[in-house]
Amino acid sequence: MTKKILAALALAAAVAALAGCAEQKPVLHVYTWSDYIKPELVAQFERENNCKVVVDTYASNEEMYAKFKAGATGYDLLFPSSYMVKIMHDQGMLQKLNLDLIPNRRNVDPDYMKLAFDVDMDHSVPYTVTITCLGYLGSKVSDFKPTWAMLDREDLKDRMTMLNDHREVIGVALKYLGYSLNTLDDRELAEAKDVVLRWKKNLAKFENEQYKNGLASGEFLLVHGYSGDLMLVQAENDDIQIAVPEEGSQINFDDMVIPVGAPQPELAHKMINFILEPQSAAELTEFIYFLCPNLPSYELLAEETRADPILFPPADVVAKLETLADLGENNAKYTKLWDEIKAGD
Amino acid sequence: MKAGRRRNLSEWLVTLPSLLWLLLLFLVPTVLVFAITFKPATPYGGIGDGWTLATLRTLGNPNYPAIIWRTVWLSVVATTLCILLATPMGYYMARVSPARRRLVLLLVILPFWTSFLVRIFAWKVLLHPEGMLKHALTFLGLIAPETSLLYNAYAVLLVMIYTELPFAILPIYAASEKFDFRLIEAAKDLGATSFFAFRKIFLPGIRVGLLTAFLMVFIPSLGSYVIPDIVGGPTSEMLGNKIAQRTFVDRNLPHAAGLSALLTVAVLIPMVAITALRRKESPKDALIEEGV
Repeated sequence: MTKKILAALALAAAVAALAGCAEQKPVLHVYTWSDYIKPELVAQFERENNCKVVVDTYASNEEMYAKFKAGATGYDLLFPSSYMVKIMHDQGMLQKLNLDLIPNRRNVDPDYMKLAFDVDMDHSVPYTVTITCLGYLGSKVSDFKPTWAMLDREDLKDRMTMLNDHREVIGVALKYLGYSLNTLDDRELAEAKDVVLRWKKNLAKFENEQYKNGLASGEFLLVHGYSGDLMLVQAENDDIQIAVPEEGSQINFDDMVIPVGAPQPELAHKMINFILEPQSAAELTEFIYFLCPNLPSYELLAEETRADPILFPPADVVAKLETLADLGENNAKYTKLWDEIKAGD
Repeated sequence: MKAGRRRNLSEWLVTLPSLLWLLLLFLVPTVLVFAITFKPATPYGGIGDGWTLATLRTLGNPNYPAIIWRTVWLSVVATTLCILLATPMGYYMARVSPARRRLVLLLVILPFWTSFLVRIFAWKVLLHPEGMLKHALTFLGLIAPETSLLYNAYAVLLVMIYTELPFAILPIYAASEKFDFRLIEAAKDLGATSFFAFRKIFLPGIRVGLLTAFLMVFIPSLGSYVIPDIVGGPTSEMLGNKIAQRTFVDRNLPHAAGLSALLTVAVLIPMVAITALRRKESPKDALIEEGV
């Protein structure tokens, strides 16, 4: 009897030891948006580097940031939007990148690099660019024009949404009025507030997540949302049309950054370099339908993708795009305005 | 004397796990929330050093009364309607045959087998502007084609009632089951009408169940966040949504804590009032009856 128990214990120990061996592969912890990386590419990276990649997801920059502020550790690679990159960088939460480990950085499209905050890639490398657009159902919205004034259309009342984000919404109103979306001018902001309050009467809701499915299912007819999201649901409902309004819009970068205290910084650099390979970037653009601004990857894209005016907008539209800057203390101005907008009728 | 002390000790030991649980997971976090209210916020969403009354002053924000009022009226109406619907249901369940009672009880509990979120999303499908219900109502001429069933305060109210109804039915049923229905027969024998007996004998008899139902529905209603977020529109924001906005979007934890503290106080008022009421009415039975 005792022998049997001993044998069983020995077996258990052996199994545990084997399991231990398997776990000794380095593990890269990626924290990113959902559906934001191609699983096949992750598998390829795992094979090539004999490691394991664990992908964890967040739904908003703020959620990710709140988690880090609350003391989260163990993540190696994050994909925040530029404004959040700046907030995290200002507080010393991000590592300075070792550019020698990222030779593929030269592939990043210089036209877009100009618009970025961190032009020298000191601590961040662009992953994707997205433009805030209007999405609509072609068969239900009669005589659509690519302008933010569409939000004034009474016939679409209660069937339109705007993003639930103070900077995006007030930013759209500012662009509509011809102002910068980073303005601190009180008069311009007051004008923008009146415009948003007027639009609000026509909105079904302020919505960040469900607007895509809502548009695809015909619940909403016109939505203010991110180009990548909208293109993704276009695959479900080919009635969905997307347009960048002529008044200009907001362009957003999602960057790759390595947080201070990352357990596997070297592997994280390798992952960044791997993603910047033209082949990987092209596959990602096709898969997530956000543009990876990677110049040599463009010619690897399908012709149809290359001709997409949303992924590759005309130069005069690109000229009117603006990046949302973090306003630091002045953010309170926008917060106050947003409170008034939310409470107002 | 000695025996009494031993009984005291064993009572303590039995209470200890739940006491620790409440202390660690309820009292400590609540105290922290109140404490953070008096800390300054940093522009990066952290909590600064020192103490301040700045947050307390922001509670006078002219945009808050509208949200607080909306939160209160939605909660009051949801609670009232839940109790109005649950009382006949509880009465019925206490009166029917045990077999049918088990079936009805099962039906009341059944929704809990599906995730809360899935059930809210199901309402989005039901009330969809291209959905069957909308088409049927439009066809019957009950609503105009452009009326939206979703994304307004009434949709929030409807889903709140749907979600919280079981929490009103269960305590009312539990109280009704213990109610001695011979009292109603006696009242009728003495000449009371059915309705009079229901109102004057049955309702006071299940008073504890009604009070518990009130608390079980009213308190979660005040803290609603998910329901207004999913089926609410641009003008159905509740206090819970504001707290979420302060935490995630505005990155101002003290402001979020201030609103949470306000909500906690708002929840404590009816609880304290009802406990005091019960104590006053029957000081001895109060504790026993609370176990219902």
